[in-house]
Amino acid sequence: MILAEASQSWLQFWGHFHPMLVHLPIGMFFMAGILHFFYAQKQQEARPIVTRILIWTSIFAVLSGAMGWSLAQSGEYDPSTLQIHQWLGISTCVLSLGLTYVMRSGMSIRITNLLFILSLLCLTITGHYGGNLTHGSDYLTASLPAPAREMLGIKMEKEAEEVPKITNLKEAVVYAQLVKPILTQRCISCHNAEKQKGKLRLDSPNFILAGGEDGPIIAAGKPLESELIKRLLLEQNDEHHMPPKGKTPLTENEISLLHWWIQQGADFNKKVAQLSSDEKINAILKKYSQADATQESAVFKQSIRAADEADLARIRKHGLLANPISKDQNYIEVNAINAPRITNKELADLLSINAQIIRLKLGNTGVNGDFMKEIADMPLLIFLDLQHTKIADKDLESLKGLAYLESINLVGTQISDRGLQTLAKIKSLKRLYLWQTRVTEKGVAQLKKIRPDVAIQSGFKGLWPIEVDSSQLAFNK
Amino acid sequence: MENEFFKNRLNITRRHFFGQAAAGIGGLALGSLLVPELFKGDASAQSLPLGVAHFAPKAKRVIYLCQNGAPSQYESFDYKPMLNKMAGQDLPDSIRGTQRLTGMTASQDKFPLVGSYYNFKQHGKSGTYISEIFPHIGSIADDICVIRTMSTDAINHDPALTFLQTGAQVGNRPSMGAWMSYGLGSENKNLPAFCVLLSRGRGNGQGVYSKLWTNGFLDSTHQGVVFSSSEDPILYLNDSDGIDKAGRRRMLDQLAELNHEGFAENKDPEVEAKVQQYEMAYRMQTAVPELTDLSKEPDHIIKMYGPECLVPGTYAANVLLARKLSESGVRFVQIYHQGWDSHGNLPQEMAMQAQDVDRSSAALITDLKQRGLLDETLVIWGGEFGRTNYCQGKYTVDNYGRDHHPRAYSIFMAGGGVKAGTVYGETDELGYNVVKDPVHIHDFHATVQHLMGINHEQLTYKHLGRRYRLTDIAGNVLPGLIA
Repeated sequence: MILAEASQSWLQFWGHFHPMLVHLPIGMFFMAGILHFFYAQKQQEARPIVTRILIWTSIFAVLSGAMGWSLAQSGEYDPSTLQIHQWLGISTCVLSLGLTYVMRSGMSIRITNLLFILSLLCLTITGHYGGNLTHGSDYLTASLPAPAREMLGIKMEKEAEEVPKITNLKEAVVYAQLVKPILTQRCISCHNAEKQKGKLRLDSPNFILAGGEDGPIIAAGKPLESELIKRLLLEQNDEHHMPPKGKTPLTENEISLLHWWIQQGADFNKKVAQLSSDEKINAILKKYSQADATQESAVFKQSIRAADEADLARIRKHGLLANPISKDQNYIEVNAINAPRITNKELADLLSINAQIIRLKLGNTGVNGDFMKEIADMPLLIFLDLQHTKIADKDLESLKGLAYLESINLVGTQISDRGLQTLAKIKSLKRLYLWQTRVTEKGVAQLKKIRPDVAIQSGFKGLWPIEVDSSQLAFNK
Repeated sequence: MENEFFKNRLNITRRHFFGQAAAGIGGLALGSLLVPELFKGDASAQSLPLGVAHFAPKAKRVIYLCQNGAPSQYESFDYKPMLNKMAGQDLPDSIRGTQRLTGMTASQDKFPLVGSYYNFKQHGKSGTYISEIFPHIGSIADDICVIRTMSTDAINHDPALTFLQTGAQVGNRPSMGAWMSYGLGSENKNLPAFCVLLSRGRGNGQGVYSKLWTNGFLDSTHQGVVFSSSEDPILYLNDSDGIDKAGRRRMLDQLAELNHEGFAENKDPEVEAKVQQYEMAYRMQTAVPELTDLSKEPDHIIKMYGPECLVPGTYAANVLLARKLSESGVRFVQIYHQGWDSHGNLPQEMAMQAQDVDRSSAALITDLKQRGLLDETLVIWGGEFGRTNYCQGKYTVDNYGRDHHPRAYSIFMAGGGVKAGTVYGETDELGYNVVKDPVHIHDFHATVQHLMGINHEQLTYKHLGRRYRLTDIAGNVLPGLIA
């Protein structure tokens, strides 16, 4: 028994070398292919070298295959993907051995070429499935921009099961809206349908209750006896600490919430109001509902790549401020406060970062209506400031397609009631500034009627000064 | 700045080096053995690329209308009818508790409670109680968030104001504005990130000192630039007679060359800062005259702020100038208005002070709103502490005074992501103690920085061997204040 365990352990040990060693034959195989195909005229010269490379490729391929098999015994991987990867891997080994034989025996060039192409193809597909096993099946396409993803017809799984926003904290379902998002963010990458470290899945209630290879992970009502919590509270350096070294640990608040949920019975359906909570938990809960409420725009759910530094540098040369809105976000704010003389010509450079711009401040500049067509190509725009510019009613037409536009400042422009009709069609609009324009009170009133959800500022109309009634100041109490 | 000092170390002579090397290098080696992290450097300390916020900010700029001298909360924003009912009775010991008193009233044998001389009225949809001497601020009650539970550690003006502005009672730390300049930089390349405007009211005044807008240990380019209250807001900015623009440029270039030589020799980072400041002044020569010329403001704007705004050096003029500076991208505009220290004769002094600030303060918020700037500008109005609920000196029916009270006082904020039309916190029936939701100065700082997209625990500067921040080792962001 002990012997079996020890050998199991050795198996695991060698298995862990698979992801490292496997890249060696891959590289060698492709190198052999490059030499074989691109130096075809000098076949005779290349052949002995290619053959030697292939011999070593085969040796390492078989070795990695064996290690891969050891790793597979852990049972932590999605069985169906694993099956495909395993058999493709074995095929690649066989093909490489076959190819070596063919090269050595000097068979016809046609057969050699065919076999070569077949092997490399097989190798590539094997590698892809291997990647899916370790990183998850959506790893490759996770950062693909939305339009390209649509073109390829790839659906984001994450979007499909969106967590309902916490609008009313008391009515929030504790598991679905508080616990699950934490698990999704911190744990699921290793405990899911495709990869089950420790034979544990955390992606649905059934699996959470089922536990992992060491038994259940939750003891309802007893958080400190629950493996789930114990692992989180271990020393960072402890090998059983979760998440393992190198992955982002849970924050204190997140651990407190999980602790609280288990303490209160680990129910999957109860709402916040149905559980009793102390002051500490209340404070944390408040933060969560707050954090959710401040999620201003759906734009922030989109992950976009960072703007190219060279593009930003070119834009900054015109005197424009162009910076990420924060350290860990790629959305860009452009501000023309230092470039009052800028015109459409220089602003055309903004198109190189059109996918990143969410705030655009072009007030008091030489921008005019022609640039509106370019603005229409900034799909994530939330905030647009065009005060004191030569913008006319008809130019606003271009803004209709902007799905996230919330705030438009048109102070000091020639916009009139006709422009308001266009603006009324921007569904995402929340704030509109119309002071010192040609709009009439009637036009504003009409817009307010169609769009009661838009806060409209058309200038201060109060009666100041408000006189203090001095007779009131005398003692009358 | 530290890097420069470090580079200077590289200039030490060979003899120095060998003289110190034996002990020095040996010591370093031992140190690194004992504390492995010693020379690894701290990534988090430098993790903020200057000029970019930690997270998406709600407010881009701050206008701080500091009411210097401590306006009474009982005659402004904390309505306590119970004080009127109990007027003349002694402050119960159970309420006063362990609160220390200033030398001015500690020896009083009686502490007669005194109610507000002025009536209060509910304003706006929020129904916020505001005193009748602030009718204009009352009219914008739905745009502001009144905090009734500010509390501070200091009980005298200088330490309290220093604490409010720098997060410490002793005056060697950077001011709020300097931290903002350091963390977020300036939007407008022709104006400093941190500007200071001073004015004086008709009430009993308390001084302001340059340590309130100091850069502390930060680079001196982050220091607040004080505008003069005279017709010429920035002294000596105009070229003197006989010097033209080109001549000025040549002079600055030559001077910079000399300074660079000096820097190469003494490696004092302040020399480089000085060069930058000369350059800033040069750029300000064109930007400032245009900006400070209030005569071009249209009539309807003058009507909002009140006719006083055309008189240089008044609070109203400074508030109007603050709007123009902020509109032009100045990160932090700090106004100090003196005259709120009403130890005696409060009913009259307070009414005069209110008259001076009420209309223009409200006008600023309204003006920012119609320009679409209030969303991204945080306006703060308030003093360094509050005043006592008991009378200082002799209490008569139409005259009384109030001493300093640090435990609970009122301020208000507007715009920049604060919850408009709300009242935050609650004091007891006599207004002496906080009953619900206290806002300590450190919490206030943490929250203001949060609104600006700054994590108050991460904006740090290493000085004299440890990292400092505005909130030092305290402070909590208060979500209840944030929209």
